[in-house]
Amino acid sequence: MSSFYIWPEMPFLSIAVLVAASMVFLYLARAPLHLALDSLNDGIAGGLERTAAWIKSVVVKMQEKNRKVLLESNIAESEQKIAQEFKRVEASYTKHLADYPALHLKLDENITSIDADFKECGQVIPEAPGWNDAVESIASIKGTASGDRVIEKMLKELHKSAVDGEKMALSEMQKTSSKRHKILSSLAPIWKKILKLMTEVDTKVSLVLETSGKIEKYMQDYEKVRQGGEDSIDMLSSKATKLFIFSIIVITVAGFGAFVNFQLIALPMSELVPAGTRVLGMHVSDISALVIVTLEVVLGIFLMEALAVTNIFPQIAGLTIGKRRMLLYAALLGLFFLASVEAALAVLREHIAATNAATTQALAGNVETTAGTEGSKITVIGQATLGFVLPWILAMVAVPLEMLIESSQHVLSKLIILIIKLVGYLVGIIGHLLNTIMKTIIHIYDAYIIIPTQIGNLFKSKSEPAHSGS
Amino acid sequence: MIIKRKMVSILLIASVVFFSGCSDNKEYETAICALADISGTYAKEKKSMVKIIQAGIVPKLVPGDSLVLMSIDSNSFNEENIKGKLKLDYRPSQANQQKLKFAKALDDFAEKKASAKYTDISGAMMLCSSHLKSTQAGTQIMFIFSDMKEELKAGIKRSFNKDEFKNINIAAMNVIKLNEDSTNPQVFRNRIKKWEKRVLKHSAKSWNASLDPTEIGDYIDKNR
Repeated sequence: MSSFYIWPEMPFLSIAVLVAASMVFLYLARAPLHLALDSLNDGIAGGLERTAAWIKSVVVKMQEKNRKVLLESNIAESEQKIAQEFKRVEASYTKHLADYPALHLKLDENITSIDADFKECGQVIPEAPGWNDAVESIASIKGTASGDRVIEKMLKELHKSAVDGEKMALSEMQKTSSKRHKILSSLAPIWKKILKLMTEVDTKVSLVLETSGKIEKYMQDYEKVRQGGEDSIDMLSSKATKLFIFSIIVITVAGFGAFVNFQLIALPMSELVPAGTRVLGMHVSDISALVIVTLEVVLGIFLMEALAVTNIFPQIAGLTIGKRRMLLYAALLGLFFLASVEAALAVLREHIAATNAATTQALAGNVETTAGTEGSKITVIGQATLGFVLPWILAMVAVPLEMLIESSQHVLSKLIILIIKLVGYLVGIIGHLLNTIMKTIIHIYDAYIIIPTQIGNLFKSKSEPAHSGS
Repeated sequence: MIIKRKMVSILLIASVVFFSGCSDNKEYETAICALADISGTYAKEKKSMVKIIQAGIVPKLVPGDSLVLMSIDSNSFNEENIKGKLKLDYRPSQANQQKLKFAKALDDFAEKKASAKYTDISGAMMLCSSHLKSTQAGTQIMFIFSDMKEELKAGIKRSFNKDEFKNINIAAMNVIKLNEDSTNPQVFRNRIKKWEKRVLKHSAKSWNASLDPTEIGDYIDKNR
């Protein structure tokens, strides 16, 4: 510092002279230095502000794109749902209403049968044989009242015959009535059958109507999404976030399941697969176990695709029902095979563990017997069951996996937007701070040269009246 | 077509990366060498020494590991001093059978009456070191069952190379105290200290002379 002093023996005077000289210099260089500082401010703070503005515009664009993607994907999803429901309606119509003509025919037959029976039992009161007219005619013959014994006898006979005839007619009527009652009673089961058929028709029609109702609901949702209002965007965004969180939870749990599964088969795999080499630091047997676990997940994905529960591969969705069924059976067969293999490996694992324990005991001199000590059967059964069940549980992971893939697109871009937004804010704040600092520096600069400035102003004010006077 | 070509290229690169990651297991294996002193007073410890190896070292070996038993006698730098070798198969069932077979070999060794007048510890260590190096195992451990008092026969010379024990963890096990040690513990301490300096000077990875037989398993795991 002392090397800067003009008079090293008089530091205060030296400093005062240096300050005064710098003041004069800065006063004289005021205009260009102001310009330089302003340019620097424009360059840095202005640049940062522009960057912040650019980031903001990028965020807006990304938000718009994200919004569009969300809308489009949901529109596609709604369309798919509606198409699926239409397919279901078609299937429902084919399944339930295909029987309708046969049902109708049955109904017709039953009604015709009822009609015929009904006609048959139409009640016609049987009349007494035509004696009454004959009796009346005979009664009007002259001499019937004269007490002619022949006529009287004849009349008595006639009367007797008429009474017999009436009785016969009555008996005939009773017989006919009983027959009709029988016919009518035989109608009851037919009525019941018709009632049953009608209930069946009602159920099937209700099923069809229910599916149609679903379509209506989906159509309403579709309309809402298509309109793309803020409410529906918020709703879709929250739905996607919720799906993302749930699927993450489920997949994490499934990950632990896969880990348990892997641990269950890794040891016995070393008995089957040569473990002499490693790939990326892992035993080949461990990789084989990992491949089995992964294959289970893959087969699960195909199973769910074939069942139309998920829609990851459009090619599978486009397959005919017959081909899908084939794929379903193939996936089921594969899963069953892997589950059986795992169950066997789990049993082998228990055997190896028991042998290891027996060997260690034998080496420690605790038991004289060598390897092959039988372990608990419960443990073996438990491990085998676990080995058989875990692949089926892992196969279900296809559903949350699809959910995760679908929702992650939106959630991740939302996260990226948030980060970019944050960076934009930070850049804006830094720009503002730099701008303020530069202005403050200029003010401090002006304050530092206040004495020469004031003197300069004084000279200016003196010279100005002189100029104005002249 | 271009996309297909790109896909094929990516697949090829991925396969190359995957298979270039293939390596043999040697760097993950553990090779152990147990030196058994059968000379002088330590010969009485043979049975307890074998018990420690059977119960402490053998159960800790995993498929792929190896164990070799060498005896320390008057002239230990001799292939005849190798009393048993074990290289575990990668199949656990085979490995267990091998362990049991080796345990029997150890029992036979314990039963044999063999003794030596001199104690050539350095020769045994050199033989053990060259054996361990030949295994190329990632972890190499040398257990010395001895009183650590070396007595070389006249004419026998032993000097270690600079990197004689490079990457080898050395542990002196079951070091019994001799009569002179009981009289003056400093003699024992100095002897052990001298060995420590000697092995560390010749690039040993670690030295341990206070290992309890029950801690062998943990010691192997720690160094693995």
